[in-house]
Amino acid sequence: MGLLRGSASFSRYIVNGTPPEGYLDEYAQNITRYSFRGFDEYSDEDRSTGWVNIMNIFDASFDQKLFHIYPYLSLSLRVDTRKVPSSALKQHCLEAEHRIMVTENLDYMSKERRREIKEMTLSQLLKRAIPRTNTYDMIWNIKSSVLIFGSVSSRTCDEFAELFLKTFDLNLSPLFPYSLAAMGLSREGINTDRLDSIRPFDINGDSDGHT
Amino acid sequence: MDILEKTEKTETIGKDFLLWLWFKSETRGGIFEIDDGLSAEILIDGKITLETDEIQDSVTCSCANPLMKEARFALMGNKRITKAAIKLTINEEDEFFFRLDSRWMNFRLLKTPKVIQDLKGDPEGFFYEKTGLIERAVTVMDSVFMDFIRIRLSPDWESSELPALKEWIRNWNRPLPA
Repeated sequence: MGLLRGSASFSRYIVNGTPPEGYLDEYAQNITRYSFRGFDEYSDEDRSTGWVNIMNIFDASFDQKLFHIYPYLSLSLRVDTRKVPSSALKQHCLEAEHRIMVTENLDYMSKERRREIKEMTLSQLLKRAIPRTNTYDMIWNIKSSVLIFGSVSSRTCDEFAELFLKTFDLNLSPLFPYSLAAMGLSREGINTDRLDSIRPFDINGDSDGHT
Repeated sequence: MDILEKTEKTETIGKDFLLWLWFKSETRGGIFEIDDGLSAEILIDGKITLETDEIQDSVTCSCANPLMKEARFALMGNKRITKAAIKLTINEEDEFFFRLDSRWMNFRLLKTPKVIQDLKGDPEGFFYEKTGLIERAVTVMDSVFMDFIRIRLSPDWESSELPALKEWIRNWNRPLPA
């Protein structure tokens, strides 16, 4: 989902570590290496992912000034998916099975053979399926090490964290109430163990919500 | 413990925060003093969802009903706020609308004030302005969240804040103090 246009839904992370000296050249190479390529004509994969320019999802060529606006490094994760409707797959499998049974003069078809036909049919249909495109923006504030990523779906966030690690060789730690509070308390020199004493309190009773 | 387990186990922090926000938005007019001379008004604006840990049961209430009677009953029935729609106004001029959840405190459907810079004419200016607005909303909410954490861990929680909060929930039908 876009962070720059319309309303934004996003997860937050802390980037563990800092970019190396002269990181822009290295990052430009790595971003290009993991840029979005799409499906080639022979591919029967159902998912293709990679980086694109945050301002233009059709642009996967990376000039430094396109992704680096100090102190931010910004990119979009483009995810294209192809899907074959199950009813269409079923119909095409039945047709293929019928054709083979007639051609080979068979009375019976084994389960294994049906499975092979299904795989082959799915692969053929996937090549013809129109991909659906989604993009998820990422804005990394290099100065504060805070990163926002335009998705709240766990599958997309996991995919993003994995690609981020491959590209930048840095791990991401997701922010959530406990980690946010621990970060704030550490900054103030307060022992973060105290957060573990917080327990749900009973609105109707006398419990105070501490152990 | 992995992250998912940790978020689940500590979700009460996010749930208490959303409840405290609602309490403060009604009893203190939702006004929070932020560092650097900023002030923020935070109001529950739209729907809140309450759930229990034990059973899959949720109640969604709309603030179209000013007392949100059903939500208060749900709180007394041990349900807690897991999602809330929020309106944040910074320095009485910049309005942000979004939803927060208790487990991740992710911002959802964040609407910022309109960006003045033109995306086509000045993409860099547009980027700085829009990113600045998002960061502003996040910074203010983080600051209010830390106010809550300090109170939640202080002796004041037990002696004054929690009793006042319980009183506010139980006496929903009484007029609010001026």
